[in-house]
Amino acid sequence: MKHDTTYKHWDGAHLGIWSRRAVIATNGLKSCLQVKWMRRVITLCWAAGMIQVAILFLLGQLLIADSIVVQWLGNLSPQLQAIGRALVGWLEQHPEISVRTTYNLLFFFFSSNLLTLTLIAIALAMPHLITSDLSSNAIIVYSSKAVGRFDYLLGKFGTLFCLMTLTWLGPVWVAWLFGNFLSTNWHFFWHSRAALGHTLLYVLGSMTILSVLALGVSAISTRAKATVSLWVALWLLGNAFVPIAIKTKPWLKFFSLSFNLQQFSLTVFKLKDDFQLATDNIPFFGEMLKGIRRQANSVMQTPEMGGAIWGLSIMLVVAVIIILRKVKPE
Amino acid sequence: MVGFALQDAFIELTMLPRMPAPIPIIETTNLTKRYGGQRALNDVTLSVFPGAIGLLGPNGAGKSTFMKCLLQLQPITSGSARLLGREVGSEGREIRKRVGYTPEQDCHIPGMVGCEYVTYCARLCGLPFQVARQRAHEMLDFVGMGQERYRKIDTYSTGMKQRLKLAQAIVHDPEIVFLDEPTNGLDPKGQVQILELVQSLWKQHGICVVLSSHLLHDVDQICEQIIIIARGRVLVHDSLQNLKARQRGAAEVVVGSRQGDLLEAFQRNQWKCELLPNGHVKVEHNADSLNPLLKLLQEIRLAPLEIIPSPNALEEMFIQALETSEDAV
Repeated sequence: MKHDTTYKHWDGAHLGIWSRRAVIATNGLKSCLQVKWMRRVITLCWAAGMIQVAILFLLGQLLIADSIVVQWLGNLSPQLQAIGRALVGWLEQHPEISVRTTYNLLFFFFSSNLLTLTLIAIALAMPHLITSDLSSNAIIVYSSKAVGRFDYLLGKFGTLFCLMTLTWLGPVWVAWLFGNFLSTNWHFFWHSRAALGHTLLYVLGSMTILSVLALGVSAISTRAKATVSLWVALWLLGNAFVPIAIKTKPWLKFFSLSFNLQQFSLTVFKLKDDFQLATDNIPFFGEMLKGIRRQANSVMQTPEMGGAIWGLSIMLVVAVIIILRKVKPE
Repeated sequence: MVGFALQDAFIELTMLPRMPAPIPIIETTNLTKRYGGQRALNDVTLSVFPGAIGLLGPNGAGKSTFMKCLLQLQPITSGSARLLGREVGSEGREIRKRVGYTPEQDCHIPGMVGCEYVTYCARLCGLPFQVARQRAHEMLDFVGMGQERYRKIDTYSTGMKQRLKLAQAIVHDPEIVFLDEPTNGLDPKGQVQILELVQSLWKQHGICVVLSSHLLHDVDQICEQIIIIARGRVLVHDSLQNLKARQRGAAEVVVGSRQGDLLEAFQRNQWKCELLPNGHVKVEHNADSLNPLLKLLQEIRLAPLEIIPSPNALEEMFIQALETSEDAV
């Protein structure tokens, strides 16, 4: 007989339930990070964050008369020089408006773009969520340990939340922090507080919604390919569906995840108000922003948050029903 | 002097550790579990005391459902159950902290390495990381796993997976461990090794074992208490010793030679007998003790190598119980 019979009893103190939930979350994250493409997507997200830091740094440099950026602007064509000077003048005269508007616009832009990368990351993580536990019967092991179904789901929710922190929240928050650290004036921290607040509200809200939806999709099938395909369909087909829906039955557009999240971001960032404030206070930019307003129609539109809330609520309810029906020991 | 001796004896008695009264580890009252219209468990009322408990029954009898209801893996339809003195249903998480379980089917996490998996299971039970890792290695040593613990579980053989399942079930030092068909898919050598391990859990380490199996030999070898379940009902619940006593009157006589003489003597005595393929002689002597058999052996001057009393008691009891239940239906 080839076994060591010196079994030892253990009578130490057990860790609390939150620690056990964290164990599930970290284990899920660890398995997600083992995917090569996942690491690449995360790198891309942080690269985008660094670009944002660079842009914020350049913006701050406009306030220093002898900075390279100002000198470089001086070497440009007369038209661009005029825009540069107007921008500098605007920053100097109305820092509360200029910093707020610029940061808000930048954070809206980067948050929206990082959402796309985050959705890709979730698609890559999909097999490592509930799908694999259902297909391998590992769900039974979880259920037989000192964690309940709710603890398991909370752990998996934590996995997604941590993942999205790496792909979305982390880069934008670090961009805000470093962008302000590298600025020439500490007041940037204060004037950009609204942009940070909007970003946190939008990103954290969307992360919560996406986590629940992703768990729902992940629980639908025991086949990884099926769940990944469903997630991509929910995202991309939803996008393609909006123009058709607008022409036929407009209310159908609220069944698009991306459209609903866009309405959420427009409501939170209130870009229309910022543009109005800038137009009212700075005549030069008022003219320029009128042009932007015509071009960036989607950005300037009045958000349809009521419909988006309904659409998202229906999606969340369906996801929760799927999770409760599917995530069982057997 | 006598007074002092009595006083000393009294002091000694009062200083002895108090022996706790035996408390049932499993208590069920009218436990019923339905799957749609089918009753998997039907009014099961039991009180099981600590030990190595064998849960016997044919496939689909309700053994696994009984275990799963106790572990809260399946919701109870009606009735009540207590495990380790706690109410199943309201204290599920606390119960599972003190309970180990090896399911019948494979249940590992894909892509994980053996020792990492056992560590993870320990951490799910609330063990701190360092302790979990140390205990994982100790348990893998205990179940006899060597360097293969550093390999991915997906590459394991059935025997290794069974060992790993046992290791994850005991890594958090449970008070009771439920084993659902732990020898399934194992070769005879592997079966013996797993059963030895399971036996040592109760006999050497005081961990109660509930072994569910349809293999009578497994249960006969390691269990002291037997519960026979069929059609969702408990047919028999008794100690193995008592069950064997009920089946007295039969024995298997092992002799080196002269089987013919032995058979002839038994037939003369009008005892039913037969020569088994392994050379043993099975006899039904119809007595409560072995004395008449020993007397006969003495008369014919035959020294047996071994006498196995009630050799198939469990099997006979099992078949009898099943037949009774079928008749009742």
